[in-house]
Amino acid sequence: MVAHVLRLRLALLVGALNARPLVLLRRLAGFAVLALAVAAVCVALIRLDRVPDGEAATLTVVGSSLLVAGFFLIPLFSGVEDPLDPRRFVVTGEEPGRVAWSVALASPLGIPGLVVVAVAAAMIAAWTGHGSPAGLAVLAALLLVGTSVLAARCAMAVSAVALRDRRSPQLTGLMVTAAGVVAIPVAAFAFSLEWSGGLPSQLTEAAQVLAVTPFGAASAIAVRSGGELVASMLVAVGTLLALAALWQLLVRTLMTSTERVVPVGERRGLGWFAVMPGTPGGAIAARSIVYWFSDPRYLANVIVVPVASVLIVTPLLVVGVPLQTVALIPPPILALFLGWLVHNDLAYDSTGVWLHISAGVRGVADRLGRLVPIVLVGVPLLALAITASIWIHGRWAVLPALVGVCVSLFATGLGLSSISSVAAPYAVSRPGEGPFEQPQRTGGSMVQALVLLGAILLSAPALWWGWLSLTGDEDEAWTSFWSGVGVGAAVLVVGVAVGGALFERRTSRTMEFAETL
Amino acid sequence: MTPPKTRPPRKKAPVSGAGTAVPPPPEVPAAVAAAELPGTPVDADAPEVPPKPEIPASVAAARFEEPIVPDEEPQDLDEGTDVAAGDPDPIPETEPVAEAEPEPVREAEPEPMPEPEPEGEPEPVIEPEPESPADTHPEVIEVPQETEDIEVSNVAGVSVPADAAEVEEPSDVTVDPQEGPGPTDADAPTVAFEVEEAEELAPEAPATAVMPQMNAEVETEASEETTRPTPALRMTDVSKSFGRTRAVDAVDLEIPAGSFYGIVGPNGAGKTTTLSMIAGLLRPDGGTIEVGGIDLRRDPRGAKALMGVLPDRLRTFERLTGRQLLHYYGVLRGLRGAVVAERTEDLGRAFDLTAALARPVSDYSAGMTKKIMLAGAMIHAPRLLVLDEPFEAVDPVSSEVILDILSAYVARGGTVVLSSHGMELVERVCDGVAVIVSGQVLAKGTVDEVRGDHTLAERFMQLSGGLSDVEGLEWLHTYSD
Repeated sequence: MVAHVLRLRLALLVGALNARPLVLLRRLAGFAVLALAVAAVCVALIRLDRVPDGEAATLTVVGSSLLVAGFFLIPLFSGVEDPLDPRRFVVTGEEPGRVAWSVALASPLGIPGLVVVAVAAAMIAAWTGHGSPAGLAVLAALLLVGTSVLAARCAMAVSAVALRDRRSPQLTGLMVTAAGVVAIPVAAFAFSLEWSGGLPSQLTEAAQVLAVTPFGAASAIAVRSGGELVASMLVAVGTLLALAALWQLLVRTLMTSTERVVPVGERRGLGWFAVMPGTPGGAIAARSIVYWFSDPRYLANVIVVPVASVLIVTPLLVVGVPLQTVALIPPPILALFLGWLVHNDLAYDSTGVWLHISAGVRGVADRLGRLVPIVLVGVPLLALAITASIWIHGRWAVLPALVGVCVSLFATGLGLSSISSVAAPYAVSRPGEGPFEQPQRTGGSMVQALVLLGAILLSAPALWWGWLSLTGDEDEAWTSFWSGVGVGAAVLVVGVAVGGALFERRTSRTMEFAETL
Repeated sequence: MTPPKTRPPRKKAPVSGAGTAVPPPPEVPAAVAAAELPGTPVDADAPEVPPKPEIPASVAAARFEEPIVPDEEPQDLDEGTDVAAGDPDPIPETEPVAEAEPEPVREAEPEPMPEPEPEGEPEPVIEPEPESPADTHPEVIEVPQETEDIEVSNVAGVSVPADAAEVEEPSDVTVDPQEGPGPTDADAPTVAFEVEEAEELAPEAPATAVMPQMNAEVETEASEETTRPTPALRMTDVSKSFGRTRAVDAVDLEIPAGSFYGIVGPNGAGKTTTLSMIAGLLRPDGGTIEVGGIDLRRDPRGAKALMGVLPDRLRTFERLTGRQLLHYYGVLRGLRGAVVAERTEDLGRAFDLTAALARPVSDYSAGMTKKIMLAGAMIHAPRLLVLDEPFEAVDPVSSEVILDILSAYVARGGTVVLSSHGMELVERVCDGVAVIVSGQVLAKGTVDEVRGDHTLAERFMQLSGGLSDVEGLEWLHTYSD
């Protein structure tokens, strides 16, 4: 079986060359670029013998962590077809267990597999050049290869099981946004490090942490000793075993469950509705997203708030407050207004809300669904704003405080808004009208002020500790972070629960209000 | 006085007549063909259902008993009415009042029959909730009524396929085109077909409203069964005021299950308010509303689950495409995505909206918007449809199609409550009618009871105050130019 699968895999590789000239040219070009890159990495690794031992260790651990993470995340996000998809072996009548082993053993044979093999070989050279025992170096390399290819297999299987029929431009957009939310701050952090004169100490610390995580443990075996070595060894072997078990399980699932026959067109033309879960809450979320991204009334809000939060600080700059201080002000303001934006969300539906009422939608589902778009918009915006502002400010130590303050303001705002939009909706411009055509106000300013002030008051702890961390005591940054996250989460949960209960109790009032719009 | 009509022919004669007179005929084969189509995707879907393959056998047994028992009986009836369809004589004019009475009684009759054998419905096979009697009940009502309504169901091809085929097969009515898949199959496949159909075809299986509350309802129903069936809707002393205007004043209504009920009244009489209260959108100031035996105030979610609602002059989410909107309707009602997708296609075909499903609803005409909202109201196969002005702005062809669908729905035990300005329409399709003026019910009963010796329009004029006060517009006739 193994030999057979290996032959198949080889045949697939050769078969890739059997294509139309244009396609073949493209493939060969891509392969050449990849080969060059791998060669460059290998050469760089082999020449690591010139740098001190410690720095070489840090670099290999961080580098191989990135490698493993890439092998896991890229197949998950890109949704590539697995050429050795276990389901293709169903017709052979083989046991799932044997298929799992065969495919796993054959998987280093393939472009990504060969890349990781080459890199691992170069790492062996680098490690032995720095005096690691040859045995440990080889073991580390083997574990690295095994972890990478298994991670990729598992990722492809998970993507096949869970995500296949949800693939759509919207989902890709979501994933890219999510990746950006993580990657951009990390990149900003990396750029802001002090690179001249050896490796920055933060990177060394990061490597120490990575050495005991599944990502970096394998390569850390070669560069550590004593108790640290044992810890890394345990994590690395445990990771490999866990991945192998997961792979077995996934193969079994894939081979024994029938693939759901998705009737052609079932998900076609549903847009966001196909991405969100098929529950009332998910549907409401999808509908809200459609409105947020197409209705000028919402778009105006989304555009005005970030611009305003930046513009609001310009007077401070004019009067001579230093830029480092001013830079910290926009993110909290942005967070505050983003949370406050939805305080009258229900009114934007106008009489359309009858649909939720007549369907007997649970209040909590309604509330949560409506919060999804603002979270989708708010989190990336805040991540960017916080990163930018800390970068300008220059001290990464206050990052936790700033995150805590922003989370607190945003989440308490959302929680209070969830209540206020049911309890005290007020008239807004109707669907289809321009965003700046305001109806004659019948109240509303009271609610606006209450939500805004409430969010600020509830965020007082985070703000206070954040201020302390800014004025000297950097340890308070984490206190601010935890208090902000704690208060924010609590208020959000309570707000959604109370708002949901109110929604179910006040259906008649809500309808009567809606009909006055 | 009135042309000789019995109730059944009255109902179907115009419908089928319309079917032959107006364009719909092409629609019949189309719809029938369509009715077959669902079979195919559904069959492809069948692997989803199989987890419970053992049951179908017993279901098959049960199923084959069931139809047979009522079959014999209504078959004659069928023959009878069939003739009646041709020439309106046989059972005819017992005078209107008497005619009115039998209606609920006849419905009460078949109901008890299924109750003793709670095992034989496919429903639980599909939907995880193990509520059995819920289904047997409408299923059986359905059988006798259906036989008498073969024409109707034919025209409204959407809803019919297998059941009609099943009944027709023995009775040898030649309606073959649609029988294609169903009867030729062996026993087991037939059952499978029925199983899906129960799930997939909205008007056909009123009881498939996927809500757990059904249980409660069934129980109350069962206990009251001995006395009389639970009405689809009962309003007792319902009032509603807006500020100092009394929009609805002590309204009492009782609408039996399986009837087509019209609420008529002049502008501003409180029809919309009444229907909004029934739909659970507005809360009455006083009085109780029971939907299928469930108190709307005590268990709003349970009662709402039994209803499909089409409001008048309320917005819908117009930025969604038609398909998205129907998906939204269905998922909010707790249906699974696959079910919604299939029903969306069926409804799109039935309402002639297929080509428009991909466009945003904001681009629809008023009539199309009405139709898509009506489709949405039906997507979860409710027991009671509450429709406010369903025919306003709808073109005549579509009106007939909608009427056909609704008639088939009512024939299978569904209940329709609608408000309308069109007296002729109400006179033609409704079993019962209530005239509301200034928030009060001035007359109610069967159409014949209410109209007495006049047409409904005349009677309505009398009740609503008539034409007497058209005075004081003399200046209008002086022509200022």
